[in-house]
Amino acid sequence: MIEALLQTLLNGAASGGVYALVALGYTLVFSVLGVINFALGALFSLGGYLTYLLMGGRISANGGLPGWGLPQGLSFTPALLLAALLTGLVSLVVERLAFAPLRRRRAEPLLYLITSLGAGLVLVNLLQMLMGAEGYAFPATALAGLPDALQVAGARIRSVQVLLLAVCAAAVIVLTLWLERSRSGRALKAVAEDATTARLLGIDSGAMLRLAFLLSGALAGLGGGLIGVSISLPGPYMGISYGLKGLAVLVLGGLGSVPGAIAGGLLMGLAEALVPGDASGWRDALAFAILFLVLLLRPSGLLGRRQVEKV
Amino acid sequence: MGGLAVLGQQADPAAKAVPAADAPNGALTIGGVIALTGNANLYGQDQRLGISLAREWAGSRRRQPGEPPLRPLHFQLQDGGSDEATAIAGFNLLIRQGVLALIGPTLSQQAFAADPIAQRRGVPVVAPSNTAKGIPQIGPFISRVSAQSSVIAPLSISEALRRDPRIRRVAVFYSQDDAFSTSETAIFQRTLRARGLTPVSVQRTQLADNDFQIPITAALQADPQLVVISIQAVGGGNLVRQLRELGYRGAIVVGNGMNTPNIYPICQRWCDGILIAQAYSPELDTPVNRTFRNLLRGSSPDRSPSQITAQAFTAYQVLFEAVQRLQRRGGLENVNLGQARKALMEELLAGQYDTPLGPIRFTPDGELVQGQFYVAQVRMDPGGRSGRFALVRETGVSGGAGGSASPPAR
Repeated sequence: MIEALLQTLLNGAASGGVYALVALGYTLVFSVLGVINFALGALFSLGGYLTYLLMGGRISANGGLPGWGLPQGLSFTPALLLAALLTGLVSLVVERLAFAPLRRRRAEPLLYLITSLGAGLVLVNLLQMLMGAEGYAFPATALAGLPDALQVAGARIRSVQVLLLAVCAAAVIVLTLWLERSRSGRALKAVAEDATTARLLGIDSGAMLRLAFLLSGALAGLGGGLIGVSISLPGPYMGISYGLKGLAVLVLGGLGSVPGAIAGGLLMGLAEALVPGDASGWRDALAFAILFLVLLLRPSGLLGRRQVEKV
Repeated sequence: MGGLAVLGQQADPAAKAVPAADAPNGALTIGGVIALTGNANLYGQDQRLGISLAREWAGSRRRQPGEPPLRPLHFQLQDGGSDEATAIAGFNLLIRQGVLALIGPTLSQQAFAADPIAQRRGVPVVAPSNTAKGIPQIGPFISRVSAQSSVIAPLSISEALRRDPRIRRVAVFYSQDDAFSTSETAIFQRTLRARGLTPVSVQRTQLADNDFQIPITAALQADPQLVVISIQAVGGGNLVRQLRELGYRGAIVVGNGMNTPNIYPICQRWCDGILIAQAYSPELDTPVNRTFRNLLRGSSPDRSPSQITAQAFTAYQVLFEAVQRLQRRGGLENVNLGQARKALMEELLAGQYDTPLGPIRFTPDGELVQGQFYVAQVRMDPGGRSGRFALVRETGVSGGAGGSASPPAR
């Protein structure tokens, strides 16, 4: 009984950690700009592909470039971190192309959804054009030194998922500490709270916005690289489903709430893990039903603040 | 309305006359709708390669003394994606462009959506690898060169039980949102029940799933001795890998979805030892299979011959041979495209073919009749990045899609 419960908790935490990471990416942009960046799923895919390439992985590009790859590959950790940084930089490009022009014109939030969705689709199609539609797998030696799986009080979990959970937890802790304790983190929170007042206090809100996009992209890239090494890269669309799940977690936890994103991710993962094995095909349906119920009871999400309309 | 009807007639190329064989535009077009994008692209790559090899083979054919020149065929490829909508769009596009016949689509799930369009327009379809129940029954213009799962799937279960007769506890995994996988798992489970084995765990997954931690740990709690998988290649490869990583050491039988060497890079060293029933063996020693293997070696030295590549080769081959027979009989003279399509379908079903799969023919409703099937075991190289399907058993099957297919008179 305890073994089964522990197994469920481990399963839930393993998938919930990644959801939380993606939801945090959404949260950063939402808290500063008040809109959702739909290109995040595509950035997740990009992170996976960049990690693979930086590790010296070979691509085929639909037969156009069979066996092409970088002459020298990095080991997993530097490749993952560099890929996250590069994905963050691409996220800045997305901000410049899909968000900045609308912001200058004070466009309706709905328009940001459309431009970011468009930017995501362009990104995924570019990936497909450059890397090919075929799936790629990281070499089995990517995590050399780690055993295939770990056994904890009778419950089993793959080592790669333990690593995934640890990196997600570390990213969340570092991000939270940075937001709470650092000058730039507090400046970002100030812009999120009230951009006009923050500007009057001398905070460069544009720079904070770019920082939010950089970090958001880097988190998505980190998630993509970790998932890639766990389940391979099934195709450029791999990030879309994680992006959707992250979006659900964002809403579940409460729009713009960092602790909410973490709690929402873990709850979503746990809800999926609780689905009985012989009904596992209905996992997504059940997880979204829970989201539906939570929103019926708490429309602002688990830890979201109630929106007060100023009149 | 009347105007629309006239427009419709003008857009329908079936009424256009088939060009004479010696006309400058005398080549007839065969269309191919194959998954070049999406999850099924792993099969699409194999299929594109098979058709390309078959075109090379057809190009090297010479007219026999006393026979008319060979009718040239042009091939037009369209990406069928991995979903129904893209396959339908591909079929519509090629039919409007006036193809004589179609090869494809890649997945059974797509075939159930796209084949009725070809059937309504009277365009012959040869499915290279659609093994779900009921594909040729979509209509008289639909045929396949892939034996249905009910003939092949039980062979690998029998082999697993022959190797270890003590197996009693079986876990089953399948994609519940994929027509082929649900059809195949029904056959696997029926075979298991016929052998007195009731699955101790049935895990239903989804086509897009790649992380199987939850269903695997649920299944392993039932302590299975055999795992039977009906999932497509990428997901299936990940499932095998994760099963082994999570400590499962028993036998694994996989279905036709994983019948491609493209699984090797995904499950790597963990693929080693899985059992699979096949409709093709690279070890079949016939002239046409030797030619097929040589052509493959020439074009892609790193690739091992796979069932899906051989079936795609066969799909093009049977169409090529049927067109040449029809040409010799004068069946392509003074007819419009619609009549040529109908005559080709009749010719296709009447023929016997010596193919890389062995001798084959068709039943009147377009079902394949193939005599020999095989059970293979994956053997991975020490590096774990490449491997081969090693033949472990050759089986003659009678009845249904199996049965005697005597060699063609050539």
